[in-house]
Amino acid sequence: MNAQILLEFAINVLSMGSLYALISLGLVFVFGICKLVNYAYGEFITVSAYVLYFLGVFTGLPWLLVFLFGILAGVAVGFFSELVAFRPFRERSLDALLVTSFAVSVILQRLFQLGISPRSKAVPVPAFFNMNIQILGVITPLRNLLIIGTTVVLLTVLVLIMKYTTLGVAMRGASENFVTARLMGVPANLMISVAFIISGFLAGVVAIFWSARTGSVEPMMGGTPLLIGFIAVVIGGMHSLPGSVVGGYVYAFISNVLSLTLPSSLLSFRDAFMFAIVIAFLVLKPEGLLRGNYQEERVG
Amino acid sequence: MNLAKKLSNQQENIKQPAAKDISQYFDFSRKSSTVVILIAILVVIGYFIWWLNIPFIEDIFTAGTITLIMTLGFQLFMGNSGILNWSYVGYVGIGAFASAIFSMTPAVKTMQIPTMYPFLINLHLPFPVALLAGALVAMTVAAIIAWPLMRLSDAVGAITQFALLIVINVMLSQWSQVTNGPRTFTLGGKRLTTLWVALGVAVLVIIAVYYFKESSLGLKLRATRDDRYAARSSGINFVAVRYCAYVASAFIGGLAGGLYSHYILSITAASFYMSELFMILSMVVIGGSMSVSGAFFGTLLVTLLRQFLRQVELFLTRSGFEASGSTEIVVAVLMIIFLIWQADGITGGRELSWRSIKRRLPSGSKKRNKVLKNKKQEEKA
Amino acid sequence: MNNNTILQVSDLYVAYGSIQALHGVCMEVHKGELVSICGVNGAGKSTVLKAIAGVLKPRSGSIRFKGKEVAGSKPEQLHKMGMALVPEGRDIFPSLTVEENLRIGAFGRRLDKSYAADLEDLFSLFPILKERYHQAGGLLSGGEQQMLAIARGLISNPDLLMLDEPSLGLSPALVDQIFELIIELKSRNITILLVEQNAQRALGIADRAYLFSNGRIEYSGRPQELMDNVDITSVYLGGQNGGDV
Repeated sequence: MNAQILLEFAINVLSMGSLYALISLGLVFVFGICKLVNYAYGEFITVSAYVLYFLGVFTGLPWLLVFLFGILAGVAVGFFSELVAFRPFRERSLDALLVTSFAVSVILQRLFQLGISPRSKAVPVPAFFNMNIQILGVITPLRNLLIIGTTVVLLTVLVLIMKYTTLGVAMRGASENFVTARLMGVPANLMISVAFIISGFLAGVVAIFWSARTGSVEPMMGGTPLLIGFIAVVIGGMHSLPGSVVGGYVYAFISNVLSLTLPSSLLSFRDAFMFAIVIAFLVLKPEGLLRGNYQEERVG
Repeated sequence: MNLAKKLSNQQENIKQPAAKDISQYFDFSRKSSTVVILIAILVVIGYFIWWLNIPFIEDIFTAGTITLIMTLGFQLFMGNSGILNWSYVGYVGIGAFASAIFSMTPAVKTMQIPTMYPFLINLHLPFPVALLAGALVAMTVAAIIAWPLMRLSDAVGAITQFALLIVINVMLSQWSQVTNGPRTFTLGGKRLTTLWVALGVAVLVIIAVYYFKESSLGLKLRATRDDRYAARSSGINFVAVRYCAYVASAFIGGLAGGLYSHYILSITAASFYMSELFMILSMVVIGGSMSVSGAFFGTLLVTLLRQFLRQVELFLTRSGFEASGSTEIVVAVLMIIFLIWQADGITGGRELSWRSIKRRLPSGSKKRNKVLKNKKQEEKA
Repeated sequence: MNNNTILQVSDLYVAYGSIQALHGVCMEVHKGELVSICGVNGAGKSTVLKAIAGVLKPRSGSIRFKGKEVAGSKPEQLHKMGMALVPEGRDIFPSLTVEENLRIGAFGRRLDKSYAADLEDLFSLFPILKERYHQAGGLLSGGEQQMLAIARGLISNPDLLMLDEPSLGLSPALVDQIFELIIELKSRNITILLVEQNAQRALGIADRAYLFSNGRIEYSGRPQELMDNVDITSVYLGGQNGGDV
């Protein structure tokens, strides 16, 4: 094993892991506050990707603006889907919320099929994304480094917000004990809206890098990142923000190791192995790698 | 006015002895009335459609009946345990593939799926046995993996079941030596699931699912649904109870899958994934997940709605509008509306029974009052 | 209702699903008073606090706070109006530091000089919190957590402070400390509604008291009269006034 292969492996794990960490973070933000496993999260990403596609193809906007609007689209869909579909359920059972998020996901997918096209569309990617660069003899596209950098910046900002702003502290409090937080004057609607907005924001960022990697957008594309998010969240711990980030990187690591070690005849079963590991994780360690402090009580 | 009253009185007088006899019968086995009514509805509709002899409508009914078996199996676990079982369609898929492999002749198999393991190619069973064997395979898979999963509830439980569905789906879509991989799996031969086969199995499944709910096992399971901790503290082993229901539900799912593959005659792993799950879920939610009647009427309603919408969709597409997929949107919106305003579905989570029908009918309530009066008089005497 | 009444509850009915927990409770609290609610477990003491604070929605009845009808309002709105409930079992945020717990208590307040002054004031009441300022709440001892919970309620300068079983699960020495603290708060003219199982102690410091039993008010009045007229022990042991326990 030489250093070059090791470095290549590390870059792969870190870039994939960064993307996965952002995906799972978006899921956990909502889960922490509402205890909702949001099945429609994948469609938040799809919406952003479509906006990237439309703006990239039909307008001459500079890349930065295109990205900005893509992210804003994610924020908007997160915010409005909560307002329209989830808010009426606040007082109902968790299962009703879960089923609703599944229904919202189906509705959005069908709307994309109907309104745009069932076929996949090529998303234009800025040239510098795919520019190959060389680090210590390892050649890698620039976007791999960009995602790592973006994630580092985003995580730092999020940590600062969550640690030092009153809103962030209140969100952490609310995800530990929602009722008590409300008793201290923390408004429930605000907390939930902010959680969905952050979730949508992260979905927007993910959409940029996801569509850059796959080069296309199609109505069902949300499924894969959603599943990745689930796994990462489960590995890291449903109740902990740092846990979900760790889970993203661990998932990328396991996935890369499986790709390298599985015999080619079994490679097509990689996802099955991955999910089998997840199930084993859930059974053996339902609280994940990092255990957050939480109460089983629900949003009321 | 007077005349009408007289007439109705007369009618009542004439009918009363007979009605009393029937109601006595149903009072005796009050719980059975649900099963009798549901089966009666199904058989009457089935007979009528068979008599009509229009292939198009017959197909809709047969497919609908197979779907009914699927929803009943789904309701068996979800309705009684309160846990969303995402993996259910996976078992339907396993049953579909397994029974097809069992029932196909070696010659057809060699032709259709050349990659298949030789020992599977040589396996050949008659259709009814193959159907049962397919269901048993689904059940066995569930029995092997389910035990440790039954401990998990809430979000973690939901994600586990979801992950399980994906594992099953990947296996079905990648295992070329068994399922022909991602390619279409064609059964060949003629359609073995006829209207009467589907109907017969559905009748049996209605009975099984209903009596499961009323059995002591079903009662215990419902207790764990309502309050896990209280049920546990009264000595109910909730893992064991859930496990039994889960395995039973997988069996019925497998059965439905077998019927499906011998009806549709060509399947892929994608036929047993999210959109099918969504269809079953919408039926159970709209009907009312807590009761067998809910699954029954939910299936009936949503099937009719889907057929109607599909026609509208076809019409729109023909007139130049792109409308494919709008059916799912309507069903999904309807489901959300139900969840907001009528979370227990059209049945309100109750069972349809002879009594609940009588209560609706004005003459029925009169009769009941009379019976009560009689009873009171008897007591006085 | 006079100007001095800060909280007036009339004919309050609350149910948990199909189980009726409160049957027509009427009570009031005046400015500057320390009112104590006593009764056995399950008598409805905590339920009434939760209903007042907006955690539970009343089935019927009225709750007037500072002259406004507030029945059915959200907890966060009531907090903004000047209510603070220190919940039973303390319910501090375990992974948040003492500082952060207090900041949530002051949600909606600007963290300015007056906040700093109030914080200093609280530290004079609870010196231990200053020592533990940067520690996670979950690492504090039971007594310290209770102090933090009370401090978290006080930091918003509430017009009505509701304490739900503050002495629960604490050692006798700590119970003494908590009651001394409540007396201190009363001397600062803070209006307090106190729910306590430890009736003797609670009645000893209260201006007025309500005795709950089976979701109804069994007795109300001055603590002294109450102690004279009602055989407290009989209530507690399920005697004639106590109903079934």
